[in-house]
Amino acid sequence: MGRRVPVEERLFSLVLALLATEHGLTKADILSTVTGYAARYAAMSDRANLERQFERDKEELRELGVPLETIDAVGSEGDTKLQRYRIPPDRYQLPDDITFSAEEYAMLTLAAQVWREGSLSTDSRRALTKLQSLGMRIDDTVIGFAPSIRTRDAAYEPLTTAIDRSHQVVFPYLKPGKAVAESRTVSPLALVFHEGRWHLHAHDDGVSATRTFLLRRIVGQVLVTGAPATVVPTPDESQRVLDELNALWLATVATVRTEPGTEADVVLRNRPGTEENEGGLHVHTTDLDILADELSAFGADIRVLAPEALRSAVRERWQTVAKTHG
Amino acid sequence: MVDRAATPKAQDKLGFLLALVPYLIDQVRVTVDEAANHFGTTPEHMRTAVMLIAMSGTPGADGTYTHETLFDIDWDDFDERDIIRFRAAPMDDKPRLSAREAAALLAGLQRVAALPDFAARVDIVELMAKLARGTTGAPAPVAVRAGAVAAVHATLVEAVATGQRVRIDYVTTRGERDVRDVDPLRLNGVDDSWYLRAWCLTRGAERSFLLDRMASAEILGPADAHESTSLDDVLFTSGSADERVTIALPRVALPLIADYQGPDDDVTIKGDTAIVTLRVAHTGILGRIAARLAGEVEVIEPPTARAAVASWAQAALAPARAAAGPESPSG
Repeated sequence: MGRRVPVEERLFSLVLALLATEHGLTKADILSTVTGYAARYAAMSDRANLERQFERDKEELRELGVPLETIDAVGSEGDTKLQRYRIPPDRYQLPDDITFSAEEYAMLTLAAQVWREGSLSTDSRRALTKLQSLGMRIDDTVIGFAPSIRTRDAAYEPLTTAIDRSHQVVFPYLKPGKAVAESRTVSPLALVFHEGRWHLHAHDDGVSATRTFLLRRIVGQVLVTGAPATVVPTPDESQRVLDELNALWLATVATVRTEPGTEADVVLRNRPGTEENEGGLHVHTTDLDILADELSAFGADIRVLAPEALRSAVRERWQTVAKTHG
Repeated sequence: MVDRAATPKAQDKLGFLLALVPYLIDQVRVTVDEAANHFGTTPEHMRTAVMLIAMSGTPGADGTYTHETLFDIDWDDFDERDIIRFRAAPMDDKPRLSAREAAALLAGLQRVAALPDFAARVDIVELMAKLARGTTGAPAPVAVRAGAVAAVHATLVEAVATGQRVRIDYVTTRGERDVRDVDPLRLNGVDDSWYLRAWCLTRGAERSFLLDRMASAEILGPADAHESTSLDDVLFTSGSADERVTIALPRVALPLIADYQGPDDDVTIKGDTAIVTLRVAHTGILGRIAARLAGEVEVIEPPTARAAVASWAQAALAPARAAAGPESPSG
């Protein structure tokens, strides 16, 4: 009785019990019989703690992708004492026809290597572990260096969790050119990496409209208020946002001239999508404000020809720098 | 005593157990070493996991664990021959991916798929569809734009793969143009940038070169073999020759200069203002930082650095100020 059951053994036993039951188990059934709960349940004294433990364990399973079903007792909807829990095997189990070739598996391994830190790294490693249940062998001829993407923005992790749990968040956002951050209350919808930056696509609950934020400009803590999200992502949310950003990138063009042979000249010619004709270099962007930041950094080696808004935005930056340091 | 909520580590361990069970059942008979190798773990860890599984099961109809509802392992095989063989198993299902696990692989695939060396080998669309089908619910909403590569990328991939010396026309962070002969070691992609790690024959040392800063790259012939001395891919390492410069910016804007900050740079907070001492390789880079965050960053000292920034900005403004009709786009 006194044996201390490790967390993973309790969770494993819970999965086994819930997979095996056809009609579901009530909370009392689970707590009184399943390894890891039963001994403590018998002790009576910490039942409230045990129930809280069970609530947390359910959340752990859900986060691990284990489909936990709650069935209300007929006529007693919402009565947690009578509710039954089960894991429907058909929703738990990887469909039989899903198999991966050695080459595909090697590609997945490379895909996992894109993430070297944070939850994306943890999640992709866990995904590979699960896929190893298929007993595949890796194709050693597919080798190479996977490019990595960093998730250094502190906002990344809390936003991922908030999306996963459909929670609203509040964060301070520093708009370009502003010295003071403003508080935004949003329902997060998707995280998209584009042009080297992480973007949050969200429903801004303050203005009731969708907005895209740069994670780099979320300059303080992301607070999960506990309130449910007012809008949740559609299944194709992230792809749609990515497509929109790509379309915007294609349509937004700046024309610049660079001093031949300078850093500005080399870097902008190497920039993906840049075209050249007698009018100058045509540079693509999703956001003229960000481009103004980037172009102004080249100083005297660059001249912005169009659009006019960009031209004056870059000039303003230089004037501000000159004034601040004059 | 209250048990703590399961840590991510417990989730890792559970995920491992859920994957291990169907693998072992499918294998029918497998050595501890082979199973450990398959999951990239140690034989000791594998033995512990197998013993945990062997003691687990489902509560029977009367709510007690009995031999009929437990995993049944051949203990003789296990104890004496290090062989894992289950005779009975209450569960052999392979687990689906969670929304976040699937998203991590899918987003990683979006990035890898763009590389010319891999794109041809696998039907990425089909692979992504399969992953999505193997997920509980829908994959989490994370997407990554396919990475584009600079024109020199293909040449450098070939040079690394076949061990060729390369002549690169490179522009340094100081804005100086340099032609260098290098023996490539490897290519590293970080975010949207690619770096060539190479032995630089000009400097007689290992260096990193940003592909974005290469005007051209040309294969010269077989390279010498070099032992790579460093695994770290840091492009800018601050040396003792670097200048210390103090800048002020709104406290909230601190994350915006993270790229320029080193681990040892001092940060002092005074009210809403942050005072940061940066090491910079040359003052030319200060104008760049100041312009990127115009109105937010002010270089405080030394005075020479302040003056350098001011004249940098004046120089940038000069052509436009002097511009008569011909330079104006409208005129």
